[in-house]
Amino acid sequence: MKSLFRFLYELIGTPQPPSEIPVYRDVIFPNIGLINIGVSLALVLIFYYLINRAMGVATFNKTGNWALFLILNALIAFGVVVWQTNAQAVASHSYIYWLATFNAFYGLLWFFLFSLILKGGSRNASTTPF
Amino acid sequence: MHLPLPSRFLPALVAATLLLSGCYSREDMKGETGTAETAAAVEKPAVTETPAAAETAAAALAQPLAQANVFLEVSGSMEGFMPKTGADAQNTQFQQHVAQFLSDLNRSPAVRQKTFYRIKEKPYRDSYPQLSQTVRGGIREAASSTSIPAILDTLVSHYYQPGAVSVLISDFIYAPPRTGDQAYVKTDITDALNSASRPDLAVSVYGFTSDFKGNFYPALKTGAKRINNCCDTPIPYYFWVIGPADAVRQFDAALLTKQPGKQTHFGVKYATPASSLLNKFQNKGAWYYGDAGASKRAAGATYHTVAVQEVSAAQPVEFVLGLNLKDLPASFRDVAYLKQNLQLSGQDTDAKVVDVFAANAQTQNSSGPESHYSHFVKVRLTQQPRAARPLQLLLNHRRPAWVGQWTTQNDSNINQVGAKTFALSSLLDGVAAVTTDEQEAPVFSIPLMLQRGE
Repeated sequence: MKSLFRFLYELIGTPQPPSEIPVYRDVIFPNIGLINIGVSLALVLIFYYLINRAMGVATFNKTGNWALFLILNALIAFGVVVWQTNAQAVASHSYIYWLATFNAFYGLLWFFLFSLILKGGSRNASTTPF
Repeated sequence: MHLPLPSRFLPALVAATLLLSGCYSREDMKGETGTAETAAAVEKPAVTETPAAAETAAAALAQPLAQANVFLEVSGSMEGFMPKTGADAQNTQFQQHVAQFLSDLNRSPAVRQKTFYRIKEKPYRDSYPQLSQTVRGGIREAASSTSIPAILDTLVSHYYQPGAVSVLISDFIYAPPRTGDQAYVKTDITDALNSASRPDLAVSVYGFTSDFKGNFYPALKTGAKRINNCCDTPIPYYFWVIGPADAVRQFDAALLTKQPGKQTHFGVKYATPASSLLNKFQNKGAWYYGDAGASKRAAGATYHTVAVQEVSAAQPVEFVLGLNLKDLPASFRDVAYLKQNLQLSGQDTDAKVVDVFAANAQTQNSSGPESHYSHFVKVRLTQQPRAARPLQLLLNHRRPAWVGQWTTQNDSNINQVGAKTFALSSLLDGVAAVTTDEQEAPVFSIPLMLQRGE
């Protein structure tokens, strides 16, 4: 698990400053990775299964509505990194914001993948985004 | 698929909860280590807690020494240090210093039993007030000269016990009785100290100088046998602390740390000082703690593994090792001594000590781990280690320069020679031969590990 997230997040280079590498690899990468996947999955479930199936809302199934959740997910992913790095008290460095941006990108990716997998089970939005 | 709604969402909710609760945080890890502390201790010896070492040292200090025997030589050659005070006479530095030392020792809780002796042809038991009076009021009836080897022989044969030290206060002026036998100073001392074959014998030597008002008896009898109304120059005198290594270390730490004089130590062994790498203190380049569990950043944890992420001649790695040397004698805490004698030994590496400095107000008041350390060693390297390689930081045991400066081969005209002692370095060679086989082990050695960053 740790090595998977380390691989995913070190695609943009090793953490900076180098003295914080153990904390990033052992704590922050797994944390933000798991939270990111969890939040993406939760938002996909809310969009397809809560709003567009259980609640039966008929007017929230456009691509624009889906994109709203997609962006929301990316913002959460960005915020999670800032929060986690603060919580772990790592030395401040611009790397934190590169990592946050990269995590937001992964947020978009997870949300898109979960959408493809789970959209078929939705009643009103099974063809959103396509 | 007509299940009630909550149960249809259940798997997803469970999955999400599992994912979220799987997150790591430092609190979780602390909890984990709390429950599996022994397992962690076995698996991860690399990260150690500093208090453990400190506690043992404190425990050793808390247990007072059983006994200290103080021997004051009162032969004629010592009269100049302890002149009979007339109405106008001022007392000498020796009198002030030794009287103060005796008083400090007498009321020190670090030693349970204190006994005081005057050395004439053999030791005579004195009480503290009597001995103190001898020092302050002057020697009433001087003994004929007592030979240093004979005294040393007596001390190691009859006064050597576990947990006890002998402190010999003397000018240590000694020459073999036959002129021309000066080459045997070292041999005589070695034989005297070796007479009882004490395997853990240790000797700490403290050197002081004092003004001298009386007759000076040179060791070398080729010239005048005696220099009357000496001396215009200060004359050295010494405290030799003799006993088992542990007792000597404890006595040094309890009573002689604040002495102003010179010092050197033979056969005394010291606990390895607390130490840790510091990753946020004057560090440079891409390296991090390679110790297992470094990410926990537990309070008080110490680190000894450097994982080098990237290094080149243009971008060297510099790391600082904090050392707490407060339990070492002052001579080993001296920054100049440390700069000369701290040495890194390792294979396949160009790691070098580039700087050694003592704690200052800024490091002491820092909230970082550097506040726990008294000295800092900065190491630079420019080559990536090929694999994990051990690296050791050693403090070499070297005879301090003052020994050479205080040695003379001819003390028959002491006023011109200055504050020197006849054949002092030969005396100390004789001590070294017994305590250390002439090859002093390092004062301490701190194992570090150098590895490639992943």
